[in-house]
Amino acid sequence: MKAATYDYAKPLTCDEAIALIVPTGGMGKFVSGSQSLGPMMNLRLAQPEMLVDLRGIAALRACRIEGETVTLGACLTHAQIEDGKVETGTRGLMEYVARGIAYRAVRNRGTLGGSLAHADPAADWINTMCALDAQFLVAGPGGARVIDGGDWMAGAFTTALEADEILTGVRFARLSPTARWSYYKFNRKPGEFAEAIAVFIDDAARGVCRAVIGAIDAPPFAIDDARDLLRDANPQTSCFDAHLEAAGIEAGSYEHEVHRVALVRAAAAIRNQDGKAP
Amino acid sequence: MSDAFIKTIELVVNRAPVVDRVEPRTSLADFLREQRMLCGTNIGCEQGVCGACTIDVDGVPTRSCITPAISCAGSAVRTIEGFDDDAIMNELRAAFSAEHALQCGYCTPGMLMTARDIVTRLPDADDARVRLELSGNLCRCTGYVGIVRAIRRVLDARRARAAAPLAAAAATA
Amino acid sequence: MIKRLHRQGGGDSAQGIGASLTRKEDERFMHGRGEYVPNIRMVGMVDVAFVRSPIAHGHIVGIEKPEGFEHAIYTLGDMEGVKPVVANSGLPGFKSSEQPVLASGKVRQVGEIIAMCVAATRAQAEDIAAQVFVDFEELPAVVDMIDARRDDSALVHEHWGDNVFLETFVDANPDVDLDAIRRDAPIRVHRKLRTARQSMAPMEGRGCVAHWDRRLSQLILHTSAQMPHITRTGLAQCLGLDEGQVRVIAPDVGGGFGYKGILLPEEVCCGWLAMQLEKPVRWIEDRREQLTANANCREHDYDITGYADRDGRLLAVECEAHVDSGAYSSYPFSACLEAAQIGSILPGPYKMERFRCRTWSVATNKPPILPYRGVARTGVCYAIETVMDAIALEAGIEPYEVRLRNLVEPHEMPYDNITRKHFDSGDYPEAVRRAMAAIDLSAVRARQRRGEPDGRRIGFGMSVFCEQGAHGTSVYHGWGIPMVPGYEPAVIRLTPDGVLEVRVGVHSHGQSMETTLAQIAHEVLGIDTDRVRIVLGDTGVTPYSTGTWGSRSIVMAGGAVGRASKELKERLLKIGAHLLGEPSSEVRWENGAVVGRQASRSLREIARTWYLAPQLLPSDVDPRGLEVSTSYQAKRDSGTFSYACHAVVVAVDPALGQTEILDYVIVEDGGVLINPMVVDGQVYGGAAQGIGTALYEAMPYSDDGQPLASTLADYILPGATEVPAIRIEHMETPAPYTEFGQKGIGESGAIGPPAALANAVNDALRGLGVRIDQLPVTPRLVVEALAKERERQARAMKGMPA
Repeated sequence: MKAATYDYAKPLTCDEAIALIVPTGGMGKFVSGSQSLGPMMNLRLAQPEMLVDLRGIAALRACRIEGETVTLGACLTHAQIEDGKVETGTRGLMEYVARGIAYRAVRNRGTLGGSLAHADPAADWINTMCALDAQFLVAGPGGARVIDGGDWMAGAFTTALEADEILTGVRFARLSPTARWSYYKFNRKPGEFAEAIAVFIDDAARGVCRAVIGAIDAPPFAIDDARDLLRDANPQTSCFDAHLEAAGIEAGSYEHEVHRVALVRAAAAIRNQDGKAP
Repeated sequence: MSDAFIKTIELVVNRAPVVDRVEPRTSLADFLREQRMLCGTNIGCEQGVCGACTIDVDGVPTRSCITPAISCAGSAVRTIEGFDDDAIMNELRAAFSAEHALQCGYCTPGMLMTARDIVTRLPDADDARVRLELSGNLCRCTGYVGIVRAIRRVLDARRARAAAPLAAAAATA
Repeated sequence: MIKRLHRQGGGDSAQGIGASLTRKEDERFMHGRGEYVPNIRMVGMVDVAFVRSPIAHGHIVGIEKPEGFEHAIYTLGDMEGVKPVVANSGLPGFKSSEQPVLASGKVRQVGEIIAMCVAATRAQAEDIAAQVFVDFEELPAVVDMIDARRDDSALVHEHWGDNVFLETFVDANPDVDLDAIRRDAPIRVHRKLRTARQSMAPMEGRGCVAHWDRRLSQLILHTSAQMPHITRTGLAQCLGLDEGQVRVIAPDVGGGFGYKGILLPEEVCCGWLAMQLEKPVRWIEDRREQLTANANCREHDYDITGYADRDGRLLAVECEAHVDSGAYSSYPFSACLEAAQIGSILPGPYKMERFRCRTWSVATNKPPILPYRGVARTGVCYAIETVMDAIALEAGIEPYEVRLRNLVEPHEMPYDNITRKHFDSGDYPEAVRRAMAAIDLSAVRARQRRGEPDGRRIGFGMSVFCEQGAHGTSVYHGWGIPMVPGYEPAVIRLTPDGVLEVRVGVHSHGQSMETTLAQIAHEVLGIDTDRVRIVLGDTGVTPYSTGTWGSRSIVMAGGAVGRASKELKERLLKIGAHLLGEPSSEVRWENGAVVGRQASRSLREIARTWYLAPQLLPSDVDPRGLEVSTSYQAKRDSGTFSYACHAVVVAVDPALGQTEILDYVIVEDGGVLINPMVVDGQVYGGAAQGIGTALYEAMPYSDDGQPLASTLADYILPGATEVPAIRIEHMETPAPYTEFGQKGIGESGAIGPPAALANAVNDALRGLGVRIDQLPVTPRLVVEALAKERERQARAMKGMPA
């Protein structure tokens, strides 16, 4: 399975990158790790006429914490996050999530931004950023803009990014020292895309109690107020089902069962205060 | 090659500088196999799932089947052939042979790359962790039993050697 | 730089039969110097990409080639004189069909090749293929093997009138009244079972490089294959060449498992094109081709009933079985082998009074079936072992007890079973007893009673089976397929410096034959295995063999090497005696030398004499010299029967339906083991594939015949986290009819797991009123079954009809 032909450039700045993509009239694509795009191109499901490689742009790897705000560069690799090479301010959540993405060889090259721009609903970062209520930082010919998390994904594999825009990073509020989180992923075997994801962030000090139902055939479903889920120990209670149905998961289906289990177990992990899902 | 987009690529392959011409669409695996005649790296799925194509790029295991060769310009690439004289790799080879960790051999170069990463990066890995780290390298012949035992052998031997200087010091104290 | 290998293990350490000698093959594989087909490079080589059918069934109305590339695209109409692939069976009623090497007129499966595009690189060839437009008149797809037998079904081969390659009927012990048993048996269990279509998915797909050698006037085909001589025969027939004009070379092969026991239309196309273009032509199967066009095994349907007395003793088994055999009859095994096999092996290792089995090999719009490791035995084991567990339940006894009451016993060996299979030797009940001890069944039952803190449910399952391997002429001639295994040859000779070259016609694709056959030579001749070179895979150099399949190689080629070595030893003794000046009766062979009263002559010295000092040879020396060409048949060629008991403990999460294997024990008997380490590896590997069959692997098809798992992200192969640390125990009951008492065991590991795991999961779920009757046992199946049962109970509690 060999990719269709394309041109390639590797600029050193975002402005250069945008200047390269604009003339392609939407037929060019930005690429960083190529670990999501590569498989699609090999199947010829994606046939860009040009690839603009963002890996040479140092600014896209920049990370900083200013006060309570964390900003992470789009070209951070999953391995860098897994290994704790950057401070994510998430009390170990992102480090834990990173470790479960695909396989180490893929993590060594795949990037945070690449995964978010690819927007596979069953991937990990899209759901984690939703839980963190992150904003998406974008640069384009018209300048820089910020996209609210809820507006990032329009549907599976579809984002609000224009063809000539670069996702430069994400920005979210740092978790407070007493915050608890849990991340539950159900897949057939390690490294596979998830059949169900549930994320909880319980940060009472900041007044945040948020959950995400992920790996549905749609953008991640955010539960702004998840307190009822944490209060209730009984998995048969209708509040779990109510959230699942609000997320568009058909009652009585296999998908409903596994998503409920993920949500219940992620909630139980918070109540067990060990911070991680079983 | 009659591709209008063809580029000159400069990189290091198995410690030797290489200058070549490559179509951007050519994967690193195909560049190495078809143009550099380094056929030790096998292709199994071209999706990044099976791990057969795993090689070392800039010191870390990398899938060569979904990584464009041109994106590795300026990088240091090391294939299985480049580890002929590597001491850790040879220790793994001895263990793989002793534990019958290969049969048809097709997954083996990629498997050894990942094995080397495990024993160097995760010296305290238990068997469950070893198996988890191997999840990205598929083998259809061995059932993984010999592979896990071989990696365990090397992990234990390395741990014993690392502890030995202390034991020697304690003995003479 | 290629370093000369200096191996430990030479000299005094054990190298003969029974030694777990490390492998000669390892060195090149571990240094990335394996010589697989995709590594072949020839000057002027061109690459082929095929245009494949996107639909499962339809008429080809037109083929449009892109402008400017017409010369680079070939269809069947261009291939004058090339004949279709035909693989008929001689079994009565078998319906013949032809598989054109490029589709013409009709396509009968997604992925069927329609046109061949050639270019300097594979990528460019795919560019051309992507622009070829094929116009179809689509027909309804025949997707389900049961529906395919309905009168209103579309027909895969119109001239048949139905979709059945072959129907078979076995009615054993007809004098025993089956109706009476049906009526009166105290225990009657009935199951309808379905197994999924799978892909064998070796890590290396198929592939070939073909070129015409002008000096030799030969088409030389390098191909990743298990049976080079058979490929040669089929290729010669399709291309209208005589077999002397064809040479097939299988180099290193990256896994086979049956997948590469076939003559491919792609091979015929590349061979033809190589002669046309007078250039080397290469085609390498990629994973998408492999999965979407070649998911070609394991899909069975069983409607099986077992009858037993109150104590669980089998009275009768009757069954109607279907095998989804795909669109064409593959060469050489034919479309009907697997279904016909069911009729003869369904009784398993058990005794019973009456047996009846009707089978259908059904044609569908899917890839042609090939015999995957274990062939029908895997499905058959699943069917009969499910019935045995069900009988145990009804009789109120443990699963192992019902086996012990029905297994053929050691004092009955050799035993001719109800379908006239001749079980050669062994102690089947002992394998069961040892497996139960090793798994610690009583502890497992206690744990089940205690319950798990995490809410998972523990299940225990087992299977026991025997595996016929290396069955030969007497079994196969009746099948009438394009090959019949016969005498298995070996050609061995000593070089002037005393190295033994061994040429056999079987071919390794992971079975370590470069090592194990050398061990056999060492056993007889005492020659260091480092000085034995096994030559495999090249029809130009190796003697004719049907190749490696059916767990036959170590029995047949091993026997041949043993026999040839013994003959060579006799010749060496004669020459050695003469050189020592002693009568032949006074000398003996010891440690690789002829030993007399006071002196000895080594094998090396004798070889040197033959080649470089013939003046010293006896005047009546055997003129055949130090090259022995002989062939081997087992004393009785009805096959060896290795056997095993698999015992497994699982934990099933009823919430997610996921199954984790907690413990897995295999007690197996492969007769005398040539290399126990190699045998273990075969069993582990087979068991991993069996776990895939049981829990993970399925190629689903849509209603219009589209294969739905096109990448390894969708077709789930077991990885290191899915296969546990399996524990193996050996029993070694020598085979009575083979040269060294060895039995074929290569497929064994893949036979037991689906039955054992399905039984285990059902044991775990029994308390919840749920049973799964199909493979693979996926989380979805378990969750949906549990949900359905809860719903049924809820309705029942409300007094509503279920």
